Amino acid sequence: MTREEILGKKPLHLLEKIKENLERLNEKMEVMIELQKHGHKDSQPLPDASLDVMTLLSMPDHLRKTAMTICRCGRATAEEVSQQTSRARAVESAYLNQLVIMGYLRKERKGRKAYFYAERDSQG
Amino acid sequence: MGKIIAVHSYKGGTGKTLLSVNLAATFAKLGKKVCLFDLDFRAPSLFAILKVDEAECWLNDYLNGACDINKVIVDLSSRIPGNGKFFAALANPATEAIRDMSAKDRKWEMHALGRLLALRNTLLNDKEFDYLVFDTSPGLQYSSINAIVTADFVVVATTGDRSDVDGTRRMLKELYNLFEKKTGLVINKVLDPTSKSRKDEMDKRVKNVYQVPMLGLVPCFCEILRAEGNLIFVQDKPNHPFTKILDEMARKIDANEVN
Repeated sequence: MTREEILGKKPLHLLEKIKENLERLNEKMEVMIELQKHGHKDSQPLPDASLDVMTLLSMPDHLRKTAMTICRCGRATAEEVSQQTSRARAVESAYLNQLVIMGYLRKERKGRKAYFYAERDSQG
Repeated sequence: MGKIIAVHSYKGGTGKTLLSVNLAATFAKLGKKVCLFDLDFRAPSLFAILKVDEAECWLNDYLNGACDINKVIVDLSSRIPGNGKFFAALANPATEAIRDMSAKDRKWEMHALGRLLALRNTLLNDKEFDYLVFDTSPGLQYSSINAIVTADFVVVATTGDRSDVDGTRRMLKELYNLFEKKTGLVINKVLDPTSKSRKDEMDKRVKNVYQVPMLGLVPCFCEILRAEGNLIFVQDKPNHPFTKILDEMARKIDANEVN
């Protein structure tokens, strides 16, 4: 790789990194906004935070819809969940991250995409 | 894509199993590919009604992750007239198995929900089943709520019993509504359903108390009691009024007319 090529790639790489960090920051802000909106008491995890049907029943309506979608899909991004619930991607991203904080969901990054899933080893 | 139908009720003895078996058999009679599931693990009954003594694997084994669903479903198509396909997935009736299922924890129930949800892929998508009919246990139990969460449509069986009316009303509001489930109500064991005053009373109750669509009104038939669970009515008595009511229910569900 020539010196020019290296110099040309570096700013692009830096910009991508900045964009990624901004997206993460944005997700965190969305979670904080949602926590403030619905009150912190919704976000207290149960001692054994498993996403079973009784837990789903006891959840506030706005989170149940998101959690149910993950139950059905198994594993999905905020974008995929928003397509199912017909709510905005940013809203679903906030709810999904809230469910992660509560211990009901896990989050895994693959490249620039964040996947959410319930910790359940058997889907088939 | 096929549909998953759960038959549920607040109380026991409302006729869930009778409705499940006959609804599944009616779909098969209409040429559909159907599988009937016994999800009442505390009181399994389909093995006796369908007269199946042995199964390679039970539904319990599938939910335990010990086998594939293909080893559980039993082909009973030869017993149904017409071109339809009728399968059954049975719960293990052994006392030890009932005890084992009663002692499952929340984590296991969560895995069981995953296994039930996976049936959408394995049976509806891959094996092209038209209907999976879940016969559930009554009330708010893990196995029945798992079935409701998995289902596309819930047939709610109820009777005129006062405690049943109140419990069903609460369940409609606090269970099915919360999970955003489509429901259809079946009022079973209705005495004197042909009289105008009785019909008006039932219509008023459905409108004011339950506030969900009515799927069917089933009179109290002595012949059903006399059969003592030995007959699949829609198959053995094709001209019986009960069969006609089930035909109409199946037609409404199939045509997506219950809204």
